[in-house]
Amino acid sequence: MSPVHFIAIPLFAAFLIPLVGKVSKNLVKLIPGIVFLYLSYVAITLFPIGIHKPIVEIIAGFKAPFGISLYYGPLAAFLTTMITLIGFVIWLYSYKFIIREPIEKYYMLFMMLITGSTGIVLTGDVFNLFVFLEITAIAAYSLTAFLRDKDGAEAAFKYLLIGSFSSTFVLLAIVLLYANVHTLNMADIATKISSVPLTTRIFILILFLMGLGIESEMFPLNGWAPDAYSQAPSPVGAVFGGIVVKASIYALMRLIYLMFEFQSVMHFLVIMGVITMLIAEMSAMRQQQIKRMLAFSSIGQMGLVIIAFGVGTEPSVRAALFQMFNHALIKSLLFFAAGYLVFHSGSKKISALDGLGHDKPITSFFFAFGALAIIGLPPFSGFWSKLYVLLSVANSGLFAAVALILFSSVVEAIYYLRVVSRLYFNTEVATDVRRTPVSGLVAMGILTLVILFVGFYPNLVLHWMTPAANELLNKAAYIKAGLFH
Amino acid sequence: MIYFITSVVLILTGMYAVLVKKNLIKIVIGLSIIDSGVHLLMIAIGYVKNATAPIFSKPGLTADKMVDPVPQALVLTSIVIGLAVTAVALSLVIRLYDHHKTLDINKIRKLKW
Repeated sequence: MSPVHFIAIPLFAAFLIPLVGKVSKNLVKLIPGIVFLYLSYVAITLFPIGIHKPIVEIIAGFKAPFGISLYYGPLAAFLTTMITLIGFVIWLYSYKFIIREPIEKYYMLFMMLITGSTGIVLTGDVFNLFVFLEITAIAAYSLTAFLRDKDGAEAAFKYLLIGSFSSTFVLLAIVLLYANVHTLNMADIATKISSVPLTTRIFILILFLMGLGIESEMFPLNGWAPDAYSQAPSPVGAVFGGIVVKASIYALMRLIYLMFEFQSVMHFLVIMGVITMLIAEMSAMRQQQIKRMLAFSSIGQMGLVIIAFGVGTEPSVRAALFQMFNHALIKSLLFFAAGYLVFHSGSKKISALDGLGHDKPITSFFFAFGALAIIGLPPFSGFWSKLYVLLSVANSGLFAAVALILFSSVVEAIYYLRVVSRLYFNTEVATDVRRTPVSGLVAMGILTLVILFVGFYPNLVLHWMTPAANELLNKAAYIKAGLFH
Repeated sequence: MIYFITSVVLILTGMYAVLVKKNLIKIVIGLSIIDSGVHLLMIAIGYVKNATAPIFSKPGLTADKMVDPVPQALVLTSIVIGLAVTAVALSLVIRLYDHHKTLDINKIRKLKW
């Protein structure tokens, strides 16, 4: 068993799907499910090994600084498991939700996206990272335009424009890095980066920040997100929020912690995180469409994650990872529920949701559940991660940031509860004879159970996140494992 | 040196096209020009004057008489990626044209922040 399966199997499935599509459409729908079941088997087998001692997989027999190697440490173990879990529920949800043709193209792009994001998480080579970023990005552009309507094409084009800029910046940064250190292996770069002049280093850092900041929704580079989230099919919104953005923020943080751990960079991250969070939450407040609101809320949550990464202590990095995990779960649940609410009400507007809580009690319950969880009410998992982020930020003495996080939580509570109250406390009852399919309900049910479970036993998850946080902070161990395995 | 200057000029030209031009096709062309600039920069970094391809083809040919092969490998990959992005971009442009019957970006802009 080796971590390369995480990349190879979805990629193989992506190429298999169009062929199988010629034979049977029903088989196409099953393939991603089989892939995810297999990947979860791989994840379960590898997780206990990788969490103690990183597995370094050498591809094609070229040793570490020369060839491409995969690095499956605690952090990668945590992220690949998360991607597999979220991917599985997204597949379950898509099973009945994506009924438009061409189904095989949807699943093919979805598999490509999974390939790209697990690749980003696993790779130990910067250029390889760029390639996987591009795989993810191209699949994401196409999925945004999946519905073939006017706005979908426009949102996709906008995303593509911004995304190509971002990839150009990343590529330029990699080229400059190579010109200075003559290696592409991340562990090797980390050992040699100190010989690079400071101005060059800062220039490279700025290019990386601009490039990866776009994909990880950092202010002011997140203009693509609301359009892409709201115009893509609902499960794709969950893919963006739960998988793509998480992989990109991982890439950004890995590079920063390995190569540019200056104190001022960390301060910059905290400041950018706060600005991202405040502006996104304020924008979410005045949205009329439910999926745009969720998109802005997602940007706001990423702001919170960036703040916690920027604080840079062990508890705060752990809290950031925990927040990433919770956000992936809860935001997927919200997108799932919102997808069917939009479907039943026939409009993307929040005002069209009046009274749906009486007509569609189960879907509305899931939405309300997700809303309460993301605001951070106790027994849900969102409470713990927000609490740990706040505690770690407070421990570092950044009380202004604490106040702003609390303030934005209040804003968040207001706009989520506004939607929930529309669902339940409006007497005007809308009726829709169509029912929410079972597969969608099961997908939402699984997420709900995981959120509740993590909410009641947060220490179980945190226990696994401590080594992951340490891996990110402990540069020397990464270099040692990456180069001299 | 001339390669570095040219590549920077190409990148800036492309950025100018993407940011200023109103025609969708010209924007896509701009993206390609940026890509070419970056590719030229990559090749220029690996370039060694009076050197040959990095293959031990003749006796007495040593490593310092060869160009750096890594940037060339990177450029190949990067060209393919650039091609894919351009293809997706053009297909989106076609779809936008079908819906709007225009390529002027000012007339298409319906979605806002």
